[in-house]
Amino acid sequence: MKRVILSFLLLSLTAFAAAQVSVVARVNKTALTLDDELTLSVEVNGAAGNMLMPELPSLPAFNVYSREIRQSTINGNSSTVFRYILLPRFVGKATIGAIRFTHNGKTYKTDPITVSIYRNAQGVQKSQPASSAAKASSNGNYDSAAVKRPRETADPNLPPLERNLANQAYARGDENYFLVAAVNDENPYVNQSVTLAVRFYYNRSFYDAPYQKPAVSNIFMEEMGSSQGTQSIGGVLYRYEEQRYQLTAPSAGKATIGPATVRYMTGSSPFSALDRLFGGSAVSAEETARSAPITLTVRPVPSAGKPKTFYGAVGTGYTITAEADHTQVEAGEAVTLSVTVKGPGNLKSTSDLEIPALDGFKSYPSQAVSDTTTSGGKTEGYKIFKTALVPAASGIYTIPSIKWSYFDPESNTYKTIHTNPITLQVSPSTKTDSGFDFGAAASTTNGFQTLGKDIAYLKTTLRPDISVLEKVSAWRLINWIMLVILGVSILFASVGRKSLAQKRAYATARGLLKKAQSDEAVAEAVSGYLQQKMKISTGSLPLKGIVASLHKHGVTPATSEAFSLLWQRLDTARFAPGAPDAQNGQELASQALDILKLLEEESK
Amino acid sequence: MKRILLFFWLFICFAGICRGETTLQQAEELYRQGKFSAALSVYENELKKTPNDPHLYYNIGNCYFKMGSKGLAAANYYRAFELAPRDADIRHNLTLSLAAGGERLVPSGMPVILHQAFFYLSYAELKGLFFVLLWLFCALASIWLIKRKFGKMLLASAVILAISGGWFYIRHTLQQQHLAVIAVPVAEIRSGPGTNFPASASAAQGHLVTIQDDKDEWYEVIVKSQGIKGWVEKSAVEQI
Repeated sequence: MKRVILSFLLLSLTAFAAAQVSVVARVNKTALTLDDELTLSVEVNGAAGNMLMPELPSLPAFNVYSREIRQSTINGNSSTVFRYILLPRFVGKATIGAIRFTHNGKTYKTDPITVSIYRNAQGVQKSQPASSAAKASSNGNYDSAAVKRPRETADPNLPPLERNLANQAYARGDENYFLVAAVNDENPYVNQSVTLAVRFYYNRSFYDAPYQKPAVSNIFMEEMGSSQGTQSIGGVLYRYEEQRYQLTAPSAGKATIGPATVRYMTGSSPFSALDRLFGGSAVSAEETARSAPITLTVRPVPSAGKPKTFYGAVGTGYTITAEADHTQVEAGEAVTLSVTVKGPGNLKSTSDLEIPALDGFKSYPSQAVSDTTTSGGKTEGYKIFKTALVPAASGIYTIPSIKWSYFDPESNTYKTIHTNPITLQVSPSTKTDSGFDFGAAASTTNGFQTLGKDIAYLKTTLRPDISVLEKVSAWRLINWIMLVILGVSILFASVGRKSLAQKRAYATARGLLKKAQSDEAVAEAVSGYLQQKMKISTGSLPLKGIVASLHKHGVTPATSEAFSLLWQRLDTARFAPGAPDAQNGQELASQALDILKLLEEESK
Repeated sequence: MKRILLFFWLFICFAGICRGETTLQQAEELYRQGKFSAALSVYENELKKTPNDPHLYYNIGNCYFKMGSKGLAAANYYRAFELAPRDADIRHNLTLSLAAGGERLVPSGMPVILHQAFFYLSYAELKGLFFVLLWLFCALASIWLIKRKFGKMLLASAVILAISGGWFYIRHTLQQQHLAVIAVPVAEIRSGPGTNFPASASAAQGHLVTIQDDKDEWYEVIVKSQGIKGWVEKSAVEQI
């Protein structure tokens, strides 16, 4: 009898239990992209014993990727979750029809679910406000009460990055888990440092949440560190995990920051004692939180006013320092000059500083070292340029200040900073035979070394007075004077000389006659006079010819007759010489002088 | 009154000399401190007051050399060399700056001593020498024409005048060449006066060129050491 009663009770319980079976279908999201996965969960409550798999309707818009069954019993209530991972195939609205579940001969149906499939995440974001009602009943990420929360806005005094993050969080405050990303400047200059912050907000527990950082294009990304915090959204306290990055775009144009993702699971740990006991899990399906992609428009730095010492750095508050590892060295020993540039942003993509050649030194530049350091939430880049300098000779040298320019986006101007000069004291080398040659020195055998060639030193005074020759070159007038003198001389030589001789014929003859002591001397004086004065050649003409020439020159017949007598006497003296008689010679000379005086007076 | 005027004149002269010296000392101090650009400005200002001073050209060349502008340095050394060719420092620095551009002061194959002899006198000095010899010749010729004396001296002076005349003629021909130096790090030599003509060669700073023609912003040049002809922008060369 007891057995009968027990059997009846069991049957009654079974019947009651069968009457309490409920089947609910849920999706983890109602808006998704083609790259997303859709988790369809069919939860069967109240069913026990052997169960058949739910009968899925035709799903042309999806590929069924995997199936999973999880069973749990809490307070005697058994629950079985059939989970399917669906991969969307087409863009558009897709309806998951009623799912049929048969248990103990009875068929249960779920309500159809409509989801929207978009090509990209932007479409998903746009659709979120409109689909909030569907979310409320679709999965555990949405809180139906949250929909009614008042919309807040961030304090406008917050820094741009914080304000942007807060506003995004307020916009998604109806979700229990969400991921937002923001930058402090969406329109930076090339090489300008931009901070990207990715925050995962949650107000419920989760576990096993691997984070996938965003993929970037046309941009360098450096991690700046992570932090945690809380934020009240609609009166609900959210916790968040934040990861920051420093971005720098090496070229102008569009730069994209893809979505960051966090795949998380809500509920308790799958390794809890309860789960181990019942071999099931009290956790939800895996969810994916995704941030919206960001596009930066990178501007080139202005070309106007760009200094020669601009190597591409953009930012505010850069510093430059120079340091030599030794300031007292011997000639031939290397000094390492380190120039360090520090400032905001990533200096890796900037060009290397060109350290100018230093006279008297051989330079051996080495590869620049660049990195970033983060402290106090601020990331600073640095770049160190090292050059080995080898002085060729002793002396005191000054490494001049080295200039370096950057573009300041706050003032939109180029700014130039410089190092301080460094003085090096180089003493003569004591290593005469080190066998080490830096290339500057060429040794010789007699102890003399040629260390290099340089220009000679300055002239410390102006030029002394110019030379005489240089002065003379300016006296052009003298050229003309001298040429005129030469011309006059030539003219005189050709014409004047003869005229002068003619004029001076009588005076010459008179002088000769006064000195004459013989007939021959008188004859020569008279011949010379006739030759110079009247061009009469006495040697070739007979006396008649001479007299005829005298007549031509206007000499009177009486004078001609007197000349004839004189000439005959002279001929006699010349061709019939007797003993020389000085008295006769002087008498003849006196007579000749009188006749020549007459000729001088009468001739034309 | 005369004494006051004399004193005033002497004071002005002394003050002028002191000011010039002080300026040069300041420039030298700047040069020694490695402030070559500042020293250059001082020397260039001084050159406006004292044009054609070879020492100032030389110092300007030194400043350019130290600033790395070997072309401009060579141009200024050349100017100094033309004014004071016997100055060993000027010759040394010009040789060094030309060597930086692959050029030679002494043409290849010519003995240095011959080059030094040819350029022993500056152009102005050579001109002055020619004038003096011309005057001597004129005087001797005049004497000979009138007195028929100093015939042998006249002959000797005629020979010397002819030699110096030839020397002066060659130097004058060289002087008439529009010599210039490439003053930019690299100058492109194009086949025509414009950037639309292709560049046929490039010349580093310090190369000597002779200017043949001038059209708008372009010079037609011959690169002496290479024997090539082409057009370069005026801003790329410095005329000597």
